[in-house]
Amino acid sequence: MAKEMIAMLLAGGQGSRLYALTQKLAKPAVPFGGKYRIIDFPLSNCVNSGIDTVGILTQYQPLELNEYIGNGQPWDLDRLHGGVHILPPYQQASGSDWYKGTANAIYQNISFIERYNPQYVIILSGDQICKQDYSEFLKFHKEKNAEFSVAVMEVPWEEASRFGLMVADEDDRITEFQEKPKEPKSNLASMGIYIFNWDILRKYLMEDEADPESENDFGNNIIPNLLKDQRRMYAYHFKGYWKDVGTISSLWEANMEVLDPEHSGINLFDDDWKIYSRNSGMTGHRISETALVEDSMITDGCRINGTVKHSVLFAGVSVAEGAVVEDAVVMGGTVIKPGAVVKHCIVAENVVIGENAVVGAMPDENDSGVATVGPGVYVGDNAKIGPHAMVSKNVKDGEEA
Amino acid sequence: MINSSTNALGIIFPNSYDNMVPDLVNVRLMASIPFASRYRMVDFVLSSMVNCGVNNVSVIVRNNYHSLMDHLGSGREWDLVRKHGGLHIFPPFAEKKSSLYKERVASLASILDFLRSQKEKYVVMSDANIAVNFDFNALLKRHIETGADVTVAYAKEELPESVFKTEANDRGFYYTMNIEEDGRVSKMYVNPRRRGIQNFSLNIFAIERELLIDMINTAYVRGQVYFERDVLLPKLDDLNVQSYCFDGYVARITDIKSYFDENMKLLDGKNLDGLFSAAPIYTKIRDDNPTRYLKGAVVKNVMAADGCVIEGEVENSILFRGVKVAKGAKVKNCILMQDTQIDEGACVEYLITDKDVHFTAGKTMRGTDSYPGYVSKGHTV
Repeated sequence: MAKEMIAMLLAGGQGSRLYALTQKLAKPAVPFGGKYRIIDFPLSNCVNSGIDTVGILTQYQPLELNEYIGNGQPWDLDRLHGGVHILPPYQQASGSDWYKGTANAIYQNISFIERYNPQYVIILSGDQICKQDYSEFLKFHKEKNAEFSVAVMEVPWEEASRFGLMVADEDDRITEFQEKPKEPKSNLASMGIYIFNWDILRKYLMEDEADPESENDFGNNIIPNLLKDQRRMYAYHFKGYWKDVGTISSLWEANMEVLDPEHSGINLFDDDWKIYSRNSGMTGHRISETALVEDSMITDGCRINGTVKHSVLFAGVSVAEGAVVEDAVVMGGTVIKPGAVVKHCIVAENVVIGENAVVGAMPDENDSGVATVGPGVYVGDNAKIGPHAMVSKNVKDGEEA
Repeated sequence: MINSSTNALGIIFPNSYDNMVPDLVNVRLMASIPFASRYRMVDFVLSSMVNCGVNNVSVIVRNNYHSLMDHLGSGREWDLVRKHGGLHIFPPFAEKKSSLYKERVASLASILDFLRSQKEKYVVMSDANIAVNFDFNALLKRHIETGADVTVAYAKEELPESVFKTEANDRGFYYTMNIEEDGRVSKMYVNPRRRGIQNFSLNIFAIERELLIDMINTAYVRGQVYFERDVLLPKLDDLNVQSYCFDGYVARITDIKSYFDENMKLLDGKNLDGLFSAAPIYTKIRDDNPTRYLKGAVVKNVMAADGCVIEGEVENSILFRGVKVAKGAKVKNCILMQDTQIDEGACVEYLITDKDVHFTAGKTMRGTDSYPGYVSKGHTV
């Protein structure tokens, strides 16, 4: 049975700029927004858009990601025909290869796509926070009779040179592609989300693979080749919230934006476009007599006895009496002991922050660093972690990092 | 077999004691009454069975069971989607000659063919009016070690206040027991009214499957109704009925006041740990977002599930999933079930609001400590 469109989700990214968070974790598996992981967004978008077949291309530190995806049931992707499939690089008769680039990752899984014989393939990225209806995108692709479409966001002109830019005519047909140009001719930034006609994608992947000079990358090779051949390429304007959470500061910022859906545009409280996730199964959270909770998101299993302001707390975080958490992202299972002060920072899963320890600091004019504590780290009593620190090893009592 | 499941099948009676809480079971049954901010009563016994390796569980429903069917679904959340065993829901089997069964004997009689076809040597049975993290393996171990015919679990506790009321007899039977030094049950009392600590039956049983089939067969043809009163009690001399003392946390629903109190008791961390720390309790997943507390929210001594949005004041309360408390609203000593909405300036105190209750702006309603008010499902105040 043929599928109209299947999704291929690029989830092999190392996320090196998230360093302490991604030493043992693929970037798409990084926790986000209280009870989600980044990959929940593209997966939920797929299901909400009616896509029931998703290949997830993994490479870097896939263990936790694989376990998290499991059989795909939380996203309703446990299907008889289709569903979610983890696609790591594998050994073939003619030898084995790591995925050399984004295009090569898809190339190595051509036979997976052929099993479903789709008309269209959507290429997704596993490191963005975005709620998008891919069926609208496909509608656009069909209306334009396109062979390739790319979702683009208008970005401020002064920032345009940080992005891959699509130059398009009045009909949204793409005439030129600029990768991080010094002098941008457009402010339409590629979101790295593409819809291809499958026959076109297949042809260009084969040709690209045959080219020994190629980096096997969509942005650097496939798109320029399509342009060269004057294929029907269109830019689809996406107007919602979109954030690449590739850096500590953007990850922190996106979490803070979740706290203010009225202004930021990222609303997780939307019954019509739910984001699904694997559930912690913990009991309801407790807020005691001594607690003060304001402007925050609290997840199942939390025990709050201290002060929590403008923060996102994941499942099972405990904040002891006298501890203060502000402007912070605190991931699941972390324990914050009495008197600890945790501010303007990201604290990963299962961290222990000792009594009267200080992590991060509120920003001032000269300094707005976001401190980061990696998973499982023990921060000793009275220890101090500065606003720029990236901590991935235990910090002893009273020490500074 | 390695890691084989426990050699017992489970049976749950979800309708037992329905008439103790007539308000709450108007649109549901005992087993699907919401409890402890994100659970239903059945979750506790069912999860306990699963956690103890009982992977073949039958739920014999009688009436008002739509909500329970919806809650249990295929049993996935309890890991009970299995080729062998898994979750069975037995609705009443409508026959011309039989009326709707009322009690344990008739319920069990309706699944005798099923019981005959199963492989497990033992059966564990429970009602759903108690929230416990129960160790069925310890019960079975005791059952096997003592060579008992039947083993009944009990807790040492005082009888609930509700049984001392005059109408208590109309609300179903409860049992206390005299227990010999070797653990054997020498006497059972039906609806006693004694003060002080009693050996209060939890109505959780272990029994060999073959023996249960025999007993029910005999009892059913004799027109007997109650398993404890009609089958066990007259035979305490002939049968070796043993007891198992459960010393863990027990929340027992005996009337609406106890429902209110047992929820509120979980605001104490010691009780919460007592009920939940032994093994995980599973429930249906709703995929709510985390709970959001806005600027100006004042929250003291609250247990809340995911999916709430709190902008007003909430104190000493239990909030189920998706509750909304608007700015200026006050909630004190309340149990607000799923998707209750309290609008701006509304004020509620000592209330149990059922699912989807809506208090419009400025409305006030108060129950009292001794008699909490109840607003039924879907009503707008």
